[in-house]
Amino acid sequence: MSRLRHSLTLRLALVFALLAFVSLTLLGVALYRDLERELIRRDDAALVNRIDQLRTFLNDSNTLELIRTKPALFQNMLGNREALLTIGAAGQKPLLVVNPGNLALPSLAPVSMDHPLSLADVQHYPGVDGVPFAAAAATIESDDMGSLQVVTGRLMTERTAVLARYRLNVYLFASVAAILLALSGYLLVHRGLLPVRRLARHAHGIGVGNLTERLDGQGSPRELLPMIDALNAMLDRLGKGFVQLGQVSTDMAHELRTPINNLLGETQVALQQNRSVEAYQQLLASNVEELERLARMLDNMLFLARTDPASALSQRQELDAADEMERMADYFEGLAADVGISIDAQGSGVIWAEPMLLRRALANLCANAIKYGAAHSELVIRAIPSAEGIRVVVRNHGQTIPAEHLPRLFERFYRVDESRERSAHSNGLGLSIVATIMQLHNGAYSVSSSEGVTCFELFFPGRRVGE
Amino acid sequence: MNILVVEDEPKAGNYLLNGLQELGYSVSLARDGIDGLHLALEHDFDVIVLDVMMPKMDGWEVLRRLRKEADTPVLFLTARDDIADRIKGLELGADDYLIKPFSFAELVARLRTLTRRGPTREEEQLQVDDLQIDVLKRRITRAGVKITLTNKEFALLHLFATHQGQVLSRSMIASRVWDMNFDSDTNVVDVAVRRLRLKIDDPFQLKLIHSVRGIGYRFDTQA
Repeated sequence: MSRLRHSLTLRLALVFALLAFVSLTLLGVALYRDLERELIRRDDAALVNRIDQLRTFLNDSNTLELIRTKPALFQNMLGNREALLTIGAAGQKPLLVVNPGNLALPSLAPVSMDHPLSLADVQHYPGVDGVPFAAAAATIESDDMGSLQVVTGRLMTERTAVLARYRLNVYLFASVAAILLALSGYLLVHRGLLPVRRLARHAHGIGVGNLTERLDGQGSPRELLPMIDALNAMLDRLGKGFVQLGQVSTDMAHELRTPINNLLGETQVALQQNRSVEAYQQLLASNVEELERLARMLDNMLFLARTDPASALSQRQELDAADEMERMADYFEGLAADVGISIDAQGSGVIWAEPMLLRRALANLCANAIKYGAAHSELVIRAIPSAEGIRVVVRNHGQTIPAEHLPRLFERFYRVDESRERSAHSNGLGLSIVATIMQLHNGAYSVSSSEGVTCFELFFPGRRVGE
Repeated sequence: MNILVVEDEPKAGNYLLNGLQELGYSVSLARDGIDGLHLALEHDFDVIVLDVMMPKMDGWEVLRRLRKEADTPVLFLTARDDIADRIKGLELGADDYLIKPFSFAELVARLRTLTRRGPTREEEQLQVDDLQIDVLKRRITRAGVKITLTNKEFALLHLFATHQGQVLSRSMIASRVWDMNFDSDTNVVDVAVRRLRLKIDDPFQLKLIHSVRGIGYRFDTQA
């Protein structure tokens, strides 16, 4: 059943068939009705005609005599088993009864002599076995027998047969036409869908190995082109994401090498010979440092892999911007003072954000700003409210970051200077975490750097009605 | 303190057992969920450390059955850090959780918090050796010398003084003093501790703040 519902070809073929059958049948029924009416009219006219003839006939006494002496003649004259004719005076035994089919005699009010017979005077009865029966009665004034009543009727067997044949033909033709249309519809749709099957075959062939391949729109009907374009655009995005993902995995494996190598090497060397308790303690402490580094990296990677923005969004709070700025200043106060950097943090308004994520993003930016800030300079942290939300700016003085690095700064493991920045406290994920946090908040992030001033800017959209 | 550890991973079970015993706690170790549940129902523990991923009967099931009969505090350990998992644990009646990998000092601190009975009253006056802390007035003197601290330095010292003798991990300090509940890539805590030392330890003979290599810091009159 569900297969039937989902096959476009089959459905269209069936619809074609149904439409053809219905329309042809309707046409057939209309024509049938017309024919039926015409046949009835002709049959009725024949009855009326017969009575008219009898009226003329019976005026002649010879004819009456003939009826009396040779009724068989009349029976033969009428010719078949379907006809009925009685002639007789009212209340007496009829002069003539021709009723080979033994039909029940209907009681009819006879039409008087001075009244010409019309089609309306013919009465119709259900008859026997569904075959209609028509009859007419009239009064005839004969010369020598006075007023006679004539009843004539006819069982319409022949007409019924003709109509039945006609009906059968109508259904037959309609069915044949329906089947033909269904078949041709099926074939047409099947052929029409060829490009789709070709696309499917092509899509089948695209895998991880050839993600650069694109679906070919040539030879496809115009209706399919938007879909092909959309699919190709999707492939573009997926391809890009896939390359990035692969890069991240590779980078992560490389990042893991350093701490693991340290752990392995230091421990193996330590085990080479017996050492003092002091030396073992030192080794273990060093191991802990490396392990903490690994744990932190793991934590960051898992954080970046988090793909569920709903949970972050549902935990947003309206945070006082001034408080948050001050918290950052407090947190980094000591670290900054160590390198002679002073922190100037100010803000107003509210930030609509998940508190932990906001603090994590700001902390990453501030930590970078202090790490790369020039000695005895100022670190500026600002929260500037606007109609749509709030901008948070972290600005430091230090070396200008070359413009070619700026667009890639937020990528995972991206480092401006490969050799300089590897340390236990930097794993190249800080800014990509900021980017992820901003994406989780439907916000925006940007960086600019010129003339010794580097400025990171985050934008948090304000709380909307209903959030 | 009577602790039950339910942990199927042999190395993890061993180090938890040894580590907690060395701190003077009485520790029972169960190697799977069925034993764990059995022990938990038979004996009266102050707190239960429960690993979630275990064969035979997992931690959730142990917790579910345990909660039908007892309300011993439970801290569960999980290697998965999705929120749904944590919520599930807390809904089943767990009292706290830690995500692997966690620092041992953090675990000890959490266990102490869980077993502390009744509300703790904030001490107004703290005295450690010759160091005096007036919490309300935020006044600190050592050997009669008045010491001026910034707000966060005071918060840090207060944290140390109220956890005398305990090893505090860096992440716990960051969380308690600055409300930064994540492992940051900076050595902010080390710097803050160094600056605090400069004021309350360096001028004096007896040092109070001790580094515990690889773990964190301990505030104590004994080295």
